[in-house]
Amino acid sequence: MKSQAQQLRTDATWPPEEGQTISFQSSTGLETTILQEVRWGLVWRDFVLADGRVVPEHRISGCPQPQVWRKISEVTDQEREECEERLFSMAGAGLDPRKRDQRFWAELNQYLAYTYLRFKQVSARGQDTRTDPE
Amino acid sequence: MSRSNSNPGPEEETEEQQVWRVLSEAGLVEIRLEEFAERIRDVKHIVTARLRELLDFNNRVQERESAAYSLGTLTGLELKLLANAPNPPDPSKK
Repeated sequence: MKSQAQQLRTDATWPPEEGQTISFQSSTGLETTILQEVRWGLVWRDFVLADGRVVPEHRISGCPQPQVWRKISEVTDQEREECEERLFSMAGAGLDPRKRDQRFWAELNQYLAYTYLRFKQVSARGQDTRTDPE
Repeated sequence: MSRSNSNPGPEEETEEQQVWRVLSEAGLVEIRLEEFAERIRDVKHIVTARLRELLDFNNRVQERESAAYSLGTLTGLELKLLANAPNPPDPSKK
């Protein structure tokens, strides 16, 4: 187990590497576990833990502030479609997203955030886009 | 959920802070377990509003199709979640 000092990260060493011990806020308080993988979702980074739970970056101890987000324009159509296929697959398999820190919960959360930002942002500048009807 | 950094006014926000605020206000950073259906409906309203705007344009076919596809995806997910939802407690069995 790493000391508290070792767990403190700077931007230069963030995110932690796979196999490192990390602390995070769970529904029951601060937990310490092994990091299996860090991966980008459609909007933010998710940390996949050794036990399969998926925790958003902002709940990991030492996460630099402000948090880094992806620009909506960085997400490709293919990436979005693959996410949609995974969501349908999990929903079709009867998985329940109302299980916190599970993969379906994490993916659906990010998909809704992404879709909201994608259309809310465009809608907010809708007055500008109305200048070019054919 | 709280953040360790201070809360500047909207005019002082960085892009990251603005994204955080927008998503937090929409309840979409970490969706509460009992609010998934409601959040899906909220996002559907946003997409529907944009789709209505796009109907005014003849040259936004691709964007219109993309919005319509997203709306279909959200509706499909909503229906599947409703079908899989646990049954509410039976009041007659109290």
